[in-house]
Amino acid sequence: MSREEILTGLTEAVIEGDDGLVVELTQKAADAGIEPLVIINEALTKGIRIVGQYFGSGQYFLPDLLLGAKAMDAGVKLLEPLLLGTSREFYGKVLMGTVQGDLHEIGKNIVGMMLKTSGFEVIDLGVDVPASKFIDKIKELKPNVIGISALLTTTIGRQKEIIEVLTEEGLRDQVKIMIGGAPINQAWAEKIGADGYAEDAITAVEVCKKLVASA
Amino acid sequence: MRFDFLSEQEVEQVHQATLAILKQIGIHTTSPRFKSLLLNSGCLEQGDRIVFPAEVVEKALSTAPKEFKVYGRDDSRVLEFGKSKAYTQTCVGTPSVMDLDSGEKRDVQLKDLEDYVRLADALEFIDVVSPIFPRDVPQEVIVSAETVAMLRNTTKPLRICAESSHEMKYIVEILAAVVGGKEVLMDRPLAYIEVSPLSPLEYGFDPAEALMDIVEAGLPLGVIPCPMMGSTGPMTLIGCVAQHNAEILAGVVASQLLKPGSPVIMSPRVTFMDMRSGVGLWAMPEMGMAAAASIQLARYYGIPSTATGYSGTSKLADAQSGYEHLYNALMPALIGTDVLAAAGSLDNVLTSCFAMLVMDNELSSVVQRTIKGTEVSEEKLAVDVIAEVIETHENFLAHKHTRKYLRAGELWNPPLSDRQTFEKWAVKGEKIEEKARLKAKELLASHQVEPLSAEVDAELKQILQRAQEHAQHGGGVIQKT
Repeated sequence: MSREEILTGLTEAVIEGDDGLVVELTQKAADAGIEPLVIINEALTKGIRIVGQYFGSGQYFLPDLLLGAKAMDAGVKLLEPLLLGTSREFYGKVLMGTVQGDLHEIGKNIVGMMLKTSGFEVIDLGVDVPASKFIDKIKELKPNVIGISALLTTTIGRQKEIIEVLTEEGLRDQVKIMIGGAPINQAWAEKIGADGYAEDAITAVEVCKKLVASA
Repeated sequence: MRFDFLSEQEVEQVHQATLAILKQIGIHTTSPRFKSLLLNSGCLEQGDRIVFPAEVVEKALSTAPKEFKVYGRDDSRVLEFGKSKAYTQTCVGTPSVMDLDSGEKRDVQLKDLEDYVRLADALEFIDVVSPIFPRDVPQEVIVSAETVAMLRNTTKPLRICAESSHEMKYIVEILAAVVGGKEVLMDRPLAYIEVSPLSPLEYGFDPAEALMDIVEAGLPLGVIPCPMMGSTGPMTLIGCVAQHNAEILAGVVASQLLKPGSPVIMSPRVTFMDMRSGVGLWAMPEMGMAAAASIQLARYYGIPSTATGYSGTSKLADAQSGYEHLYNALMPALIGTDVLAAAGSLDNVLTSCFAMLVMDNELSSVVQRTIKGTEVSEEKLAVDVIAEVIETHENFLAHKHTRKYLRAGELWNPPLSDRQTFEKWAVKGEKIEEKARLKAKELLASHQVEPLSAEVDAELKQILQRAQEHAQHGGGVIQKT
C-alpha cells in the first residue's frame, strides 16, 4: 500500500466507523514512517470532518457519528505515545459532568461526542459530580467552558449551586458555563446566570463555539 | 375482549430472554441496604453486579398480588388495580405549562399545579392525579410540597414519583395525616409511589432506597425505568422491551423479597430518540407498540401495570396531539393495562396544557368505552327485534328495544367533540382546541373541591415545615461518596 492508499483507507475507515480497521491502518501508517500528526490531521480528522458533513446533510445519524468518533479515537490512542513533544490543536477545552444526585448521562455523552467531533478537547467528569469536584477540576484544568447536565426536576437546582460556588470562589469570570438536560430551558439558564443553553446536541456545539469565540 | 400484540410463544421467548438478562447480567446498585436485601435472599454477587437466579424471580412473581386498590380521599374514587380498566393519570413532573390565557409556554408555578390538579378533579374521565413541577416551592422538599398541594385540590387517588429517598418519611406522614394514621394508610393507600431506576439495569442509591421505604410503609410500589431504544437500551423494539422487563422485574423481585405479597405495579416506558438531535421522543408508533408488548408481559405475570399513554411530540393541543395520544393510549389499553399516564402532556411529556387535559379527558372516555367491549347475548343480538320491525313495516326508532339500550348507554356520548350540522357549527366555527381551552376556563371558574378539615390542613403545614427545617440542617443533602 502506498502512503496515499493508507491515508485514504484510514479516512474511509473513520467514515465507516470501523474501529478495527482504523487500528490496523493506523499501525500500518506508523510502520510506514508517516508522521503521527500527519496521520491525525490528514486521515483521522479528515474522516471525522466528513462524518460531520454527512451528519449535517442528513445522510448520517447519531450512531454513525458516535461510531466515527470511536473509530477516530482508536487511531489517536494508538498514536499518542508517538506524539511526545508535539501537541494537537483544539478549538477549546470543555469540562462536562452530570450534577450530584443524578446518574443520567446519555445527553451529556452525546453532546461531549459532538463537541469532540467538532474539534474540542472534552474532559468528562462522569455522573453524580458534586460542586466541589467541578471547582477543583476547573482550577486544575482551566477549561474554556464547563457543561453542567441534569435530567431530574429534583436535581436541576444543583446547576444553580455550582454557579453560586464558582462566584463565591471568584472563578466565575474565568470560565463560560453551559447547562443542559430535558427539563432545562432558556429562562432557567438566564435565571441562574449560565452563559449558554441548547435544547439539543447540534445546537450545543454552535453555542459552545460562540462562547469560546466571545471569551 | 382480548387483544394480543405477541403470540404466546413470543411472550415465552421474551420471558426467557428476561430471565437470561437477570441471571447473566443482573443489576448494579450503590445502595448497601438494597444490595444486602438481594444477597440475603438468594441473589448472587458477580463482580460488581447482582444476578438473579431464575427460581428467585419465579418465586417472587408468585407472591406479587394480582389485585389491590388505591383510594381517593373521597370514598367513591377508587382504583381497582388488576382489572385492566385503563384509568387515566395526569402527567408527572413537567417543568413547563401552556398559560391558559396567553397560550405561551412558561415555567410551572405552584398556582398552576393547584389549578391543574383542580381541573383534573373536575374532569370525569381523569382518574389519577400526579403533580406537574412548580419552581416556586422549596426544591429540597419538592415532592412533599407537591403532595400537599394535590391533597388540597383533589379528592382523587394520587400517583407520586419518588426521585429521591430523603423525602419518603414526610410523604408517608402527609398521606397518613389525611387518612387517619399510618395503619389506616396501609389498608387505604391514598397513592401509589413509583421509583425510576436508570437504564440499563442500574438501581441508583435514591430509587433503590425509596423502593424499600415505600414497601416498608405498606404503600403500593410502581417500578418505572425509562430506556430509550438505541441509546440506553437496544435499538430493536423487542430487545429494549426485554431489557426493560428485566429492570422492572428486578424491582418487583426486590419488593417481594422485602415483604412477600406487597402490592407492586409494572410501569413500562420504552421510549426512543430522535437520531439526529438526541431528543428523547414519547411518540408513536414505537411507544405504543412497545407499551403493548410490555403490558402483555405484565398480563402474563398477572401483575398490575401502567403505561404511557397520552403522550406525543406535538408542541400544541392540536390534531397531531390528538392522534398521537389516542394511538399511544389505545395500544396498551387494548392489551389490558390499569393506568394510562401523561394526560394533558405536550412536547414529549415536558409541558402540561390545560386544553390538552380536557382533550385527553375525551380520549380517556372513548378508550374506556372501547375496552369495555360489547356484551353478546340473545337480548343484545336482537334477532326478534329485527323480525318484528320487518313484519310491522316500522323502523327501529319507534321500538322499545332502541329506547331501552339508548338509555342504557349503547351510544358513546362525547364530552367535547362537535357533532353539530355544518351550518350550526359554522356559526362559531370553533376548533376543538379552543373549545377545550374555554371548557378548562369554565371548570376552573366553577369547580369546588371538598376541602381538607382545618385540623388536617394545619397538620400538613406543620409536616412541611418540619421537612424543610430538616432539609436546611443538611438532612436533605444526600450524602454519599
